Amino acid sequence: MTIEQYAAPETLDELTRLLSGGNALIFAGGTDVMPQTRAGARQFQPYLINASRVAGLRGISREGARIRIGALTTVTDILESNLLSEHVPVLVEAADCFASGQVRNTATLGGNLCNASPAADLAIPLLLVDAELELSSNDNGAPSRRVVPISDFFVAPGKTVLKPTEILTRVIFDAPPSGFRARFIKFGTRPALDIAVVSVGVAGATANMVFAITRVAFGAAAPTPIRGKKTEELLEGRLLVDDTILAASSAAQKDVSPISDVRGSAWYRRELVRTLTERALHDVA
Amino acid sequence: MTVIEKQTLIGKAIPKLDGPKKVTGEARYVQDIELPRMLFAKILRSSRVHARIVRIDTSAARKLPGVHAVITAADTPGVPLGHGKDNPPLKSDKVRSLRDEVAAVAAESEDIAERALSLIEVDYEDLPAVFDPNAALLDDAPVIHESHPDNIPFTYEYSQGDVGQGERDSDVVIEDKFTLHFVTHCCMGVSGAVAQFDADDNLTVYSQTQVPFLYKKDIAPIIDVPPEKIRVIQPSIGGGFGSKLDIYPFEPICILLARATRRPVKLTFTREEEFLASPTRQPVELTLRSGVKKDGTLTFRDVATVHDNGAYTSWGATTPFVIMQTISSLYRVPHCSYRTTVVYTNNPYSGSFRGFGNLQATFAVESHMDKLAEAVAMDPLAFRLQNAQQPGETTPQGMVFRSCGLAECLTTAAERSGFVEKHARYSRYGRGQNGQGGPVKRGVGIASLLHVGGGAKIYRSDGCGTMLKIDDYGHVTVLTGASEIGQGSETVIAQFVAEELGLPISSISVVNDDSELTPWDVGVHASRTTFIAGNSAQRAARKAREKLLAAAATKLELSAEELDLREGNVTRADTGEALLELPRLIRSLHFAKKSEVVMTAEYYEPPSVPQDKEFKGDVSASYAFGTQVVELEVDTETGVIRIVKVTAAHDVGRVINSLGIQGQIEGGVAMGMGYAISEHLLVDEGVIQNPCFRDYKLVTAPEMPEIDMHFIETLDPEGPSGAKGVGEAPAICIAAAVVNAVYNATGTRFDSLPLTPERVLRRLKNHA
Amino acid sequence: MSLEKEIHFRVNGNLTSVEVPVTMNALAMIRDRLKLTGTKRGCEEGECGSCTILVDGVSVNACLMFAVDCDGRDLTTIEGIRTAEGLSPLQKLFVEEWAVQCGFCTPGMVMQGTYLLSQNREMSVEDIKRGIEGNLCRCTGYKKVIAAIAGALHATPRRGEEKEDS
Repeated sequence: MTIEQYAAPETLDELTRLLSGGNALIFAGGTDVMPQTRAGARQFQPYLINASRVAGLRGISREGARIRIGALTTVTDILESNLLSEHVPVLVEAADCFASGQVRNTATLGGNLCNASPAADLAIPLLLVDAELELSSNDNGAPSRRVVPISDFFVAPGKTVLKPTEILTRVIFDAPPSGFRARFIKFGTRPALDIAVVSVGVAGATANMVFAITRVAFGAAAPTPIRGKKTEELLEGRLLVDDTILAASSAAQKDVSPISDVRGSAWYRRELVRTLTERALHDVA
Repeated sequence: MTVIEKQTLIGKAIPKLDGPKKVTGEARYVQDIELPRMLFAKILRSSRVHARIVRIDTSAARKLPGVHAVITAADTPGVPLGHGKDNPPLKSDKVRSLRDEVAAVAAESEDIAERALSLIEVDYEDLPAVFDPNAALLDDAPVIHESHPDNIPFTYEYSQGDVGQGERDSDVVIEDKFTLHFVTHCCMGVSGAVAQFDADDNLTVYSQTQVPFLYKKDIAPIIDVPPEKIRVIQPSIGGGFGSKLDIYPFEPICILLARATRRPVKLTFTREEEFLASPTRQPVELTLRSGVKKDGTLTFRDVATVHDNGAYTSWGATTPFVIMQTISSLYRVPHCSYRTTVVYTNNPYSGSFRGFGNLQATFAVESHMDKLAEAVAMDPLAFRLQNAQQPGETTPQGMVFRSCGLAECLTTAAERSGFVEKHARYSRYGRGQNGQGGPVKRGVGIASLLHVGGGAKIYRSDGCGTMLKIDDYGHVTVLTGASEIGQGSETVIAQFVAEELGLPISSISVVNDDSELTPWDVGVHASRTTFIAGNSAQRAARKAREKLLAAAATKLELSAEELDLREGNVTRADTGEALLELPRLIRSLHFAKKSEVVMTAEYYEPPSVPQDKEFKGDVSASYAFGTQVVELEVDTETGVIRIVKVTAAHDVGRVINSLGIQGQIEGGVAMGMGYAISEHLLVDEGVIQNPCFRDYKLVTAPEMPEIDMHFIETLDPEGPSGAKGVGEAPAICIAAAVVNAVYNATGTRFDSLPLTPERVLRRLKNHA
Repeated sequence: MSLEKEIHFRVNGNLTSVEVPVTMNALAMIRDRLKLTGTKRGCEEGECGSCTILVDGVSVNACLMFAVDCDGRDLTTIEGIRTAEGLSPLQKLFVEEWAVQCGFCTPGMVMQGTYLLSQNREMSVEDIKRGIEGNLCRCTGYKKVIAAIAGALHATPRRGEEKEDS
């Protein structure tokens, strides 16, 4: 593929205009795109766009009940955010076991989501908080936006609902209510510098004095990061007693459809899904 | 009168001499060499595991602008390389593994060379392939090398005593099959070379070799250049661990391209290529039968092994030499028999790797030591101590343990780790008794090792040369044959010389990287450098010392015995009083009527002997021992093993550089841990599945356990200042200690490695 | 042929401009164009940390960064750590503690260590271990690297001077 143009736009408007013809490969931190293009796993397009200079897309803020994270926010930014530590520590936990210090310093939230790895670490906690993704484009000269729930964003390994003319600009979710408790467990053989063999997230809230699980999510256990709908149904409104946790961790195995690869067999991934679900539920119970 | 105490450098934490250039990025590795007009080379490798080469068409590649040469087997002398001389640098008739070199290109950039490779057309005719060494032994198995229709390049047989008698003497006999896996060196600096011919056809190779002098002899026929016209320069080497002991095809290919183009050529691997095309540790299937009397006396070991040689023969095929030492002589064993069959397959081929077969052998032997102890209801420590050798013993294989700290290593490691008490306690807990009901079980395991510590006489000489000169500023240049691969030999050699000459370490320069200047040495292997090169350097320095003291005695009208060299001066031996500055003494020698320079040379040959035809003999001038106790946790629901603490007691003879030796132990423990629990080169039908650091898991910093180290100083009578070699020892027994600890924790005994989480969980859950 | 782009940036304090293919990574630019070969090519996949550099004061794997993205930034490579006064305190400790064996991972370790120290935070041994989790070393078992970083973290300038004298 011959690259015809390289651009490093400084405004979102400029960026979406460049994208309006499609045919573009976008990078921000480059931590996925660079090795993927080198390995031939991802093809260059006629336009190579460096999104890292676009103003206004890096940062974490709270407006009322809404927390907004710009797509160019790095994993280190998330890890060091007091706001997130206070409101969604589960997202910080996920950032903490993300790759390595050097990668965290450059890898962006937007990049991690758009790369659409089934194992994407940051997708799991965002599934737990029903995050919405703001996708921006340029519609015949006018800025255009749409919002998709994260549970609808991923399509297949490496594929999302993003159109070639769109870019992910923000991740938005409601600050969880008080009484929200969540847990993320990434299973790798190391504290970090690892791709999840399986990851599990659970989250719940207190309603009518009862803490119950409302969201369950899994990584590296299906073609995309997924919600554990069957597990959620089973847990809905129920007290987290031992029997329920046991039943839920078995239900979790029905939610997943893992593959066998060099990092683990489908059998092992199912075993981990059960064990980690059980542990995560015990942790928040 | 004040008496000035003599300072010693032996045992001190002398900073690493090559440290400053390495922490500033100034050290130049092969990857960093750049010569004027230099071209870049790339190798086309086989896309088949076993196939006949029907046609190679390089015409399109040759036409690509920027390409200067494309070579195939037809452009080489056709002489095979490697320890088995069965591996042509470029293959002509057929390919036998996926890494096989088929053609190579030299071009103006790596990109152009890569593109040229893609233009080379090769037609293959697939042949049936075999990947399991046992299958390769069957009558109708595909033949890998026509010269060996049975696929067996080597067999070894060894025996001592009478195993039948040993069996009759036994109260308990156990038998197990142990299966060891593929791992690879993962040197942080990938393989590479730069080759250049001058107008007189003299060849200079910038090589990473660990054996510069044998290299010249070995590579000469392959490239058709006489050895005397080859100069080997060793830039800083980004890790060795045995991987650079043999000649591999890429080096002659690089040299042949340099000759074809008459320009300097550089060839470096990518990381993926490093995984695919550098040597491995040899996978071994080892069947061990052991016996013991009720009183805890070992009676016999009977061993049969099958080695997966891969498609070609490098040093991996000779690891039985080391394996049989551990089988015959790690603890007292009166009767022993050992048979090995080395088998060709279409897998990657194995080379030498730190420990050289001993990790595999010790894994089996020390697993059995635990099982035998349990069978006769003895504590694992007491059982080992009862069978441990003492100093002065000669083993039935003929190894003479002039110094032997095995028993002290055992007791030290056990006492410092609280082994006996913990072992008893955890074994009760681990089986679900006395509480500790959670999924995470704790265990403790012990294992020891025996390894050569004073070289290994596998060549006619196991020696090393040193040349030493002192200039008129009192600066010493030491030219040593010993190669520096990061282990710190340079610093240790400088310490020995400085010690003899009473000079600060800063007065010593070590030259060790240019075969044009340095004297012969057999190479960095067999944990020999501190011992052999150290002895050589120490003796060369002693000669210089005698010369200087004799000259000073004449000048000062005293006897040489009354004098000493300290802190750059000639001093009185008794009081330390400075009498004459060393530079002045040397200048007076230069300017004397009968002038002379202070230069000495030494060739140290250790008093070891080659093994006889029955593999018996005192092959090393010294033997190293060690014991490691591993404490770990097993998560029985995920299979994860977390090593909490390693207590290591090593018989090192004597500590020469306290930091250097700690570094060897710490690095060896990390490497041994990787072998035990995380590293696994996954080879499926000859294809490596995980050629990257993402999926081939080296131990990372957060996984490092606490290491409690103890040095047992047995002062070896032949070692330089009493030291013995310890480069390989720390990696050898940890895998055995790990499986013993896992058994202690869970009651489940593993007979294969690595103990990666999924493999552990499958076994714990009896899931096939 | 890949599209090329001229970029301007600062490296080790000096303003530089080069024309690079837009597909090139910063590691290739640093080593092959700028000839700063102290930055090592260990895997080119972001897994080993041998190519760690500082970009605007933040540690990154140069192999994962597009060279064109260096435009307008401030790069520090291992060649920029030693000052006119000599080795940095961390470099000195790497030498004294034998945090170096073959040395191939060392420039990356020193860069990551320098970055960690620049954060001006108290760090436990566990924090330091996590801090270098992206730097692979095959020789040392990391212990002495950790000791060197911990030493630099806790060393006062006074102690540094004493060491120099000894």
